[in-house]
Amino acid sequence: MDKELKQKRVRKKKEQLDFVWLHVLPKDLWLKVRRGETVWEALQPTDVEIGGDCGGLGKCGKCKVKILSPVGIPPIRERDLLTEDELDQGIRLACRTGLKRDLVVSTEEADSDQDYVQILTTSHTHGGRHLPVHYFEPLVEKRLVTVSGGIQVDGLADLERLRLAMGPAYQKLKSTLNCLQTLPEALRATGYDGVAVLHEDFLLAWQDRAEMFHQYGIVFDLGTSTLVGKLINLVDGVEVAVASCLNSQSRYGTNVISRLQYVRNHPRGVENLHRILIKNLNQLCAHLLETAGVKAEDVFVAVAAGNTAMQHLLLKLNASWIAEAPFTPVVTDGMAVRASETGLMLHPDAVLHVMPAKSGYIGGDLLGVILASGASEQEEEIVLGLDLGTNGEIFLGNGSRMMTCSVAAGPALEGARISDGMIAKAGAIQSVSFEGGDLHYLVVGNIKPKGLCGSGLVELVAVLLELGIIDHEGLIRRPRNKVARKLRSRVVRRGGVNDFLVCSADESFHGKPIYLRQRDVRELQLAKAAVAAGIRTLIEEMGVEIDDISQVYLAGALGNYVNRHSAMRIGLLPRFDPDKLVLLGNAAGTGASMVILSREYWQMAKALAVSIEHVELSWRTDFDDHFVANMDFPKDNALHLHNNEALNHIVSEVSVGEVMTTHYPTIRTTATVLEMNNLLRDTGRHGFPVLDENGRLFGVATIADLSRALEKGGNDLRVGEIATQELFVAFPDQLLDEVLGATREDYGRIPVVERDDMRCLVGVLRRQDIMKAYRLALKKATARENGCNEIPESDNDNWSEALNGARQGNGN
Amino acid sequence: MSDFKALSDAVIKGDINAAVAQTQQALEAGHNPHDVIDKGLVAGMDEVGNRFSKGQFFVPQMLRAAKTMQECMKLLHPLLKEGDVVSKGKILIGTVKGDLHDIGKNLVAMMLEGAGFEIVDLGVDVPPEKFVEKVQENRPDIVAMSALLSTTMPAMPQTITAIEKAGLRDKVKVMIGGAPVTEKYAQEIKSDGYASDAGGAVNKAKGLLGIP
Repeated sequence: MDKELKQKRVRKKKEQLDFVWLHVLPKDLWLKVRRGETVWEALQPTDVEIGGDCGGLGKCGKCKVKILSPVGIPPIRERDLLTEDELDQGIRLACRTGLKRDLVVSTEEADSDQDYVQILTTSHTHGGRHLPVHYFEPLVEKRLVTVSGGIQVDGLADLERLRLAMGPAYQKLKSTLNCLQTLPEALRATGYDGVAVLHEDFLLAWQDRAEMFHQYGIVFDLGTSTLVGKLINLVDGVEVAVASCLNSQSRYGTNVISRLQYVRNHPRGVENLHRILIKNLNQLCAHLLETAGVKAEDVFVAVAAGNTAMQHLLLKLNASWIAEAPFTPVVTDGMAVRASETGLMLHPDAVLHVMPAKSGYIGGDLLGVILASGASEQEEEIVLGLDLGTNGEIFLGNGSRMMTCSVAAGPALEGARISDGMIAKAGAIQSVSFEGGDLHYLVVGNIKPKGLCGSGLVELVAVLLELGIIDHEGLIRRPRNKVARKLRSRVVRRGGVNDFLVCSADESFHGKPIYLRQRDVRELQLAKAAVAAGIRTLIEEMGVEIDDISQVYLAGALGNYVNRHSAMRIGLLPRFDPDKLVLLGNAAGTGASMVILSREYWQMAKALAVSIEHVELSWRTDFDDHFVANMDFPKDNALHLHNNEALNHIVSEVSVGEVMTTHYPTIRTTATVLEMNNLLRDTGRHGFPVLDENGRLFGVATIADLSRALEKGGNDLRVGEIATQELFVAFPDQLLDEVLGATREDYGRIPVVERDDMRCLVGVLRRQDIMKAYRLALKKATARENGCNEIPESDNDNWSEALNGARQGNGN
Repeated sequence: MSDFKALSDAVIKGDINAAVAQTQQALEAGHNPHDVIDKGLVAGMDEVGNRFSKGQFFVPQMLRAAKTMQECMKLLHPLLKEGDVVSKGKILIGTVKGDLHDIGKNLVAMMLEGAGFEIVDLGVDVPPEKFVEKVQENRPDIVAMSALLSTTMPAMPQTITAIEKAGLRDKVKVMIGGAPVTEKYAQEIKSDGYASDAGGAVNKAKGLLGIP
């Protein structure tokens, strides 16, 4: 056999060994894949949508696919994110399934609910704030120009004639090559009397006079999970059309870090993410233009605002060094580039303005929010602003001093890293209320629930805190109060902790139960602690107090949909006067719109990027301290949810045994009054239960009994002789309000005895105990907790243990 | 053992006053400081680790418990004679290069310390060379690395390689952890161990050194 042919065959055979076929249903896609790659890796370059937040790390358990080929059971350590049922059905995680041989997999049906995606596209004007008239100066302008006959005759270049015709301000007029290529025909067709389309001192086009008032621009809000586009009429500043879509980059992870990780690991990573983004944006543009009946050639300018990484990817810049300390971006300048260079399909000479950024994590989106808030245009008031998206960005200050910081808040607040979390699309529980003893959900698209989005998660946890189903340390526990009794069965014990059943299989859209798991609460605690700590750090850095802040602006989807009381209840926001809170809506987009309509705002954004003081929290230990200090939920919030009802129920069901004092000093009948006097002095008490020689309850002796005896000179009396034997007693299983209702007397201490043996003392119910029960009910009507931290240290009894034990026993 | 239950409970609850009082009582009752540490404090921290792993405890509760133990140790430390302290082993710990996350690493360090290990904490953003230098200097039994970002995870194999090149790989065990890290990744980069949380890290460290 020919040697070369043999080698060829060997090579071919080797190639066959090195590759396998992956057949993807229902798209009927055949992929030739390198052996050993995971299904997740193989699907990356395709359009197949699979779930997942973590970018293929095997952490989130959401990239489930069904393996239709015969498949073995994965090793134990890879089973934790799948249920028994799923394993039986051949469901596997795409990122943990390696391709060793040909495989047929089925991905879920293509997501058809794109239309219902709840993306915040509207923005709110606030406080009558509109674009000042003198600021109205769009980034691209059109000017009527008439080149007079005199200039036409003497053989001057066309561009020179235009310079002369336009006057001294345009002496340096330049033109794009593309424009020059069509300029002579265009000038002559209009008889040297037409419209110049200008961007700064660049001529972009020459048009007929009829085009003068036909002038549009597009602004993009580049969110990590969602993209919003707005078509704006540059003549009057009106928004003509708005469109939004999910960011298709999400398949490379729902957070910036996962995507930058992808960029880092793949030679064509930047190009790939850039291409996907541009494809999305061009779809948005097509949609906007079609809706408004405008041609792509009519759009000469676009403005994009996003986080620094997204802005880099729009410009095909390698942003991967943003992902590790010291978080270095390639560029933070505001950029004006030719839109066509990025692949955007607008007029070939259209200009794309990309917002300036401050740092790797303070992008043009936050600068847009600051512009929209107007915070930097005044120096009287201190303004706090929050943009809570995938990442949390915070600003504080005003025109004289503005500070920013960025915190890793997003995943949980956008439904990621939450077991049944999802972004706010059809089926997401967006709002939760408690009425008539049961929970009620508001679901996006008004269908049965599929999961929880950020606002739904915050509201659910706030309600469960109020009901005592989550305690202030974040532990899910079985409720004991009557208010929440219908929900008791929803608390399910699993793996040593409790999970909360949000929806049963019957109640949900997909026939699978929806849970709020203990670890989901932990994720939310981390997220809200990060935001709260960011706010706290800025406030201290600025040297002000919470009360000095006169306005609080909330931007972003979560900021708009979440109930402000819920956000304060879980401690995501500090307690403010709710009237100080202003919802800005899609403020990044608003800021971008302001920029497209005003060169003044473009300059202001660039100046802001320079003047802002950015506080990098990663280096600061005080942030870490605040972070930990804010991880618990606030304890003593004023009760605003069914407070009286909850309080009454709780008090009415606290039993004597739960709050009584068990280690209370007693005295024997045989003790002398002087001994009693000493005991009163030593213990600081005002009276004692008196026990007979057999240790059984005889009566009660108080300081009043003693003083009466001493007045009579009875120094050698025995306690048994002065004690009161007519007793008002209580039983451990009696309810507190029953005991209190049975007597009008103000007893300092009530002996607690066994119901079936009234001479057997088991404890003492003191006035303080009753007060404590009320205080506890008041404080803990909502957030029940161990109680041990609430007990003043001076009380050397074991009331706390008693209560603690009772509660734990019941809760488990 | 039950003598120290109240002390362990106080540590678990993070009740500093009660724990200090219990420690004093135990000493007054003539108990050996080592017993107070092992059977009281360490036993309490073990339970804290367990509860943390299950999700019953969260970061603040764990920190409070660790702080409680530290306060008790202040009483006990002067009573321990030089050379009397038997460390379970020396562990070098740090967050890898490019990563500034401190809290998770600190929790692990605290729990390890609570379990009786000697800790050398290199801090955050620790480059591979520094790990190597400190291994040479301190001769630890274990090198523990943390990374919170998927983008800084590659610094882990880089550090392992650097330790290998310095000829120290057979002298130390390596364990890793952090939110994006998995058991599988640990195997891929030939780390000797992985733990998903601070409680698990203690068990893993004991396992690596053959401590029951």
